[in-house]
Amino acid sequence: MISLLLFADGEGVRGFFRENWLVLLPCALGFVAIYLLMPRANRLPALWGGVLAGLALILGGFVLARSQVFSVETILFLAFSGLAIAAGVMMITQSNPVHAALSFAMVVLSVCGLFLLQAAPFLMAATIIIYAGAIVVTFLFVIMLAQQEGPSNADQRSREPFLASLAGCVLLASVWSIVHKTYQPGDVESLLATLTKVAAVKNTDDVKQVLGDPQTMKPTERDLPLVEQLRKHFASLPPDHKTLNDIAAIKLHWAKLDVDNLKASAEAVRKELEPHRNRQGSLGSDTPHPKEKTPVRFEPGKLPAGNVAAIGRTLFTDYLIPVELAATLLLVATIGAIVIAGRRSEELR
Amino acid sequence: MSPAHLEGYLVVGAVLFALGLVGFLTRRNMIIMFLSAEMMLQGVAVNLVAFAHFRGNLGGQVLVLFIVAVAACEAAIALALVLMLFRRRKTLDVSVWQELREPDQEPIEDEGTLEAEEKPEDFQHLTPAGAEPPARKDTEEVSHV
Repeated sequence: MISLLLFADGEGVRGFFRENWLVLLPCALGFVAIYLLMPRANRLPALWGGVLAGLALILGGFVLARSQVFSVETILFLAFSGLAIAAGVMMITQSNPVHAALSFAMVVLSVCGLFLLQAAPFLMAATIIIYAGAIVVTFLFVIMLAQQEGPSNADQRSREPFLASLAGCVLLASVWSIVHKTYQPGDVESLLATLTKVAAVKNTDDVKQVLGDPQTMKPTERDLPLVEQLRKHFASLPPDHKTLNDIAAIKLHWAKLDVDNLKASAEAVRKELEPHRNRQGSLGSDTPHPKEKTPVRFEPGKLPAGNVAAIGRTLFTDYLIPVELAATLLLVATIGAIVIAGRRSEELR
Repeated sequence: MSPAHLEGYLVVGAVLFALGLVGFLTRRNMIIMFLSAEMMLQGVAVNLVAFAHFRGNLGGQVLVLFIVAVAACEAAIALALVLMLFRRRKTLDVSVWQELREPDQEPIEDEGTLEAEEKPEDFQHLTPAGAEPPARKDTEEVSHV
């Protein structure tokens, strides 16, 4: 299945590398950096690995931000994710466990920033309190309780750093290239949005607003970008296919400002394009329920930031039994921890 | 939210997961291994929250809440186990538990392993007997008065 997705072009491994080199390069750089940074007997100065890791981070950020609009959200996303990844690298390469635990707290805080960007303020607060507040502190307590004397093998040496970094690199490269291929920025979503707009026009003024005014344009410029993109998208169809006729009809009716026929052909093309969207990885949509007082389902991509009430409702209606089970699990874990760790007096005897 | 944005979040989640995987496989300190496992959970949480936003469905955020609850339980139990193991062997190194491997498996030896230092035996020291220490001046004055 994976090989089917990756090698769909029938070009084999070489085609895969040519298509995805922009994704594979940061992965490979990151692999070398992690391998160099792992604690071992004769480690190179941390500067080399650090420089390589920074390079991989910048390159990866460039690959991700390349297709995005330059906005505040993009900058915040790049900042938080860069911080999270840098702290993560520090966590797994530190030889001092206390520093590793503090780096993990940094990872959690940066991930909370990402949560905030994704309209999850309640999760952000809960994660900061539980993870950065409780779990990391517990880790620090245990590190203090379990003090070892002098430099130890556990901290100064690592097991199979080459193979492990390679495994991580291969995992990341395969996931990234599939995600990259699935969510290629583009086009079906924006085309669909424009077509929906065209199909909803009411009068000639709307048409002029959405597609431009055919009368003010020079005859040589009368090319609709929408039509060109649609033709490019359906290029694999035979030239006398019905969809191509509909696309041509859009241009024709637009030039004549024929509203009714324009709507009809835009709707026809939209219906043809809709299945392509599903193949592109948007998993269809949940239908929203507008009549509910506290709605729990929203339009895709339209999740409001103030959704704490909605989370509460979902949690205590749809997921009531899992909540009870989680409560039981916490109780059992508490008892278990006491039973396992509370044997100090027996050991001393 | 456009699919281009979603790609970024999915990739960050994958990077955190891969880093956690590498840390769990390479490190020999039990506490850092558990921290790496927690980092893998963070990567999964980023994925779920991004999908919740992308699809407008709160199920993803609720699932992250359950992940946090399970992670808290896991941390409590795992740290209790780590403490118990530490009390047995006085070290956090996982390599000292290699006798738990399969009977036909060779023990793993990492390159450049530090040799255990020979510590000089620690005898109890008594305070040396001898001359009486000189009394402090101020107490002398007080006693004369």
